[in-house]
Amino acid sequence: MGVTYHPRHISWLETEIPDAPEHGLAIAPRTLNDVSAALRYAAERRLVVQVRGGGTHSGYGDPPPPDLVMSMERLAGVERWEPDDLTIVVGPGARVETVEAMLAERNQSLVMPERPGDSTVGGVVASGVSSLRRGRLYATRERVLEVTMITGDGRMVRSGGRVVKNVTGYDLHRLAVGAFGALGVIVSVCLKLWPTPPGAATVLLDDVERASLITRPLAVLETDSKVMVFLQGTESEVEAQTDRLGGRASDGLDWPEDPWGEWQWSLRVPSALTPEAVRRIPEHWAYLAVHGVGEVRSASGSLDGAPEVRAWAESVGGHLVKTKGPATDFDPWGALPPLLDLQRRLVAEFDPIRILNPGRLPGGL
Amino acid sequence: MTLVADLRAVLGDEDVLEEPVELHLFSKDASLLRGRPACVVFPEDSAEVAEVVKIAETHRVPVVARGAGTGLTAGASPTEGGIVVVTTALNDIDIDPANRTAWVGAGVINLDLSRVAAPHGLYFAPDPSSQSACTIGGNVANNSGGPHCLSEGSTTSHVLGMEVVLAGGQIVVLGGPAPDPPGLDLKGIIVGSEGTLGIVTRALVRLLPIDPDVRTLLMDFPSIEDAARTVSEVIAAGLVPAALELMDQRMCQAVENWLQAGLPVDAAAVLLAEVVGETEGVESQAQIIAETAKRNHAIDVEVAKSEEHRALLWKGRKSAFGAIAQLAPDYYLHDAVVPRTRLVETMKGVYEIADRYGLTMLNVFHAGDGNLHPLIAFDASDPVTYATVHRAGEEIVALCLQAGGALSGEHGVGVEKRDMMRSSFTELDLDAQARLKEVFDPANVFNPSKILPEGSRCFDFGGIKRELPDGVWV
Repeated sequence: MGVTYHPRHISWLETEIPDAPEHGLAIAPRTLNDVSAALRYAAERRLVVQVRGGGTHSGYGDPPPPDLVMSMERLAGVERWEPDDLTIVVGPGARVETVEAMLAERNQSLVMPERPGDSTVGGVVASGVSSLRRGRLYATRERVLEVTMITGDGRMVRSGGRVVKNVTGYDLHRLAVGAFGALGVIVSVCLKLWPTPPGAATVLLDDVERASLITRPLAVLETDSKVMVFLQGTESEVEAQTDRLGGRASDGLDWPEDPWGEWQWSLRVPSALTPEAVRRIPEHWAYLAVHGVGEVRSASGSLDGAPEVRAWAESVGGHLVKTKGPATDFDPWGALPPLLDLQRRLVAEFDPIRILNPGRLPGGL
Repeated sequence: MTLVADLRAVLGDEDVLEEPVELHLFSKDASLLRGRPACVVFPEDSAEVAEVVKIAETHRVPVVARGAGTGLTAGASPTEGGIVVVTTALNDIDIDPANRTAWVGAGVINLDLSRVAAPHGLYFAPDPSSQSACTIGGNVANNSGGPHCLSEGSTTSHVLGMEVVLAGGQIVVLGGPAPDPPGLDLKGIIVGSEGTLGIVTRALVRLLPIDPDVRTLLMDFPSIEDAARTVSEVIAAGLVPAALELMDQRMCQAVENWLQAGLPVDAAAVLLAEVVGETEGVESQAQIIAETAKRNHAIDVEVAKSEEHRALLWKGRKSAFGAIAQLAPDYYLHDAVVPRTRLVETMKGVYEIADRYGLTMLNVFHAGDGNLHPLIAFDASDPVTYATVHRAGEEIVALCLQAGGALSGEHGVGVEKRDMMRSSFTELDLDAQARLKEVFDPANVFNPSKILPEGSRCFDFGGIKRELPDGVWV
């Protein structure tokens, strides 16, 4: 308490961030106390802080340029991995790819995005993005067991626990998923791991309807060029399912990349409407549809067609969310969510001056 | 007008109870802690719930939502008085087979939902042992679990949206059938909040396809260590069975004496495992589990031969708590979690505590996720025993926390574990939770004095003074 950071004190934390603001500071705290002190420093000066993992989900929302970029790259350790308990505690800056590689040695998985690039665990949790396997193994929010955050006014708040099942107290750790750091900078995450069975196959089909021959496949994906069914289980199980599906099968799970473009979108609709969502994607857009989930990740070279897709999505209870692209009048989130005022008051209890990643959430929050 | 007159003006005479015997019936849930409600109401839709909330705010009395009253932590006991809002008349079910979802009234009984969904080839995954009585509203409020949440997660993983009545009687729909609704996940924070943030009137839940095949295995072991090691090795082999339930010898004997379900009574531990999926999958998984059990000294491995046989094996497990009645008139059931690898040593400690106090202790637990349910059978009319049971219970929970565990795995905090929250969380943690409660419920109308211990808000400059009515046990 009462420690004030002056620029010269903070300078030893400085780091190189590829797209750091020209006139702002870029820091990479090494300890939780660093994070807390830096946030108090920023709050006193009303600096806009951009909390940064791998920068892979920085396209969400419509944030103002930051005064201070806080990279989590030095809080990247694996604090504790308990393979037999199916839990892991990691720093937010831990790269998903690195952690998954480590877990794979014991046949376990975080069940986070399969093609994570530079994504960090903290970034995936804060932006609430999920694995393509979520239809079978659930979304990221269901894997988060405990979160420790430093609030915008420098308080350390922990929620949840390091056990796979827990209903003790309010689930602030689940609220932190997809909150884009508005409640606090995530400084530690405990996740529920999933064991990976030995058998796995990817089957290419011509018709997505055939995938319904399998009761609960790991994933059914569709791009503009192919339909893929992902299977996982005991070896004999996967073999039998592959035979039943027909099509061209290969061993292992060959995950596609997300579509890439100047504009990127997440189209979210009730799951049964996924095929219709695919039909409504404009011809010049690339897409990756997650059947059974209701998500179509897509990319375009322009805004053309987006208003029509959004209007349809919202008419069926869904959303078209811009996940990357230039700032324009086209709102990144679309229709405002309910209880925006309550959301605002809630965020104010954690970040009263609103310095943490402002403008990322809907409604300019 | 009086509180009752105001309520009757909206709900009609019949849906507002105030006779002492009626109030007594609704004065507690399945825990041992009783409150004194001012009245009990049975709203028939969310608009009526909203009116009840407005009237409660006008009269400055609490509203306590109640489903079937099967909760074990006094979450639905009106310990601060006020209006008990019974949700059982909110009982509509609207299934959307194509999207595998259903809008379900808060008062619908858990098992009824799965029964209605079955013709569509669907079921609701959370399956608390009380599923033939407990309501969806109660499941949402407590984020209920059950044996099958090992593989499919607790209630929170199955709630996609909800209609909820908030402070001021505001009716809001949160979430919906599309994934990842933008904005803060308010629906997610309301699940598990035990009716303290608002009253959920309807929930949009996920339904899962009924698996084409199932194998249920019953394995008995000469020691709890062997059974626990089997669980670890099964998961290490890449399997997440739909359920992995452990019962100790005393529990098996009690159940067998009552039900004759065919449970072995001479083994130290019995493990019930269930795998679901397609036939090829369950065959091979059952084989792996059986081999693992034999490697770990299983005395016998029995695979259910028919659906009736399977139902009987499960009946043994799900009737565990009912079987206690033959031993003593009351029981005190704990619900704590430890990391699975600490199960065996924690169990030893739990038995030691019971033996030290000379208490009858039986155990049944969700071994896959480390969720313990030590159960003490006793006679609550004896005040000395009652105090001893409480002391032993506190020691058990402390032991679990020492092992890196949590206060509650699926029953919730309520009043029962409220004051133990301080052993799990720092002042700042509790303050953050109290701020959340205040944002939703500034007048502290919804189920007050639950979950958070008194004084959780660190920097309370005035605000509402909370007074305990006479006779309340805290």
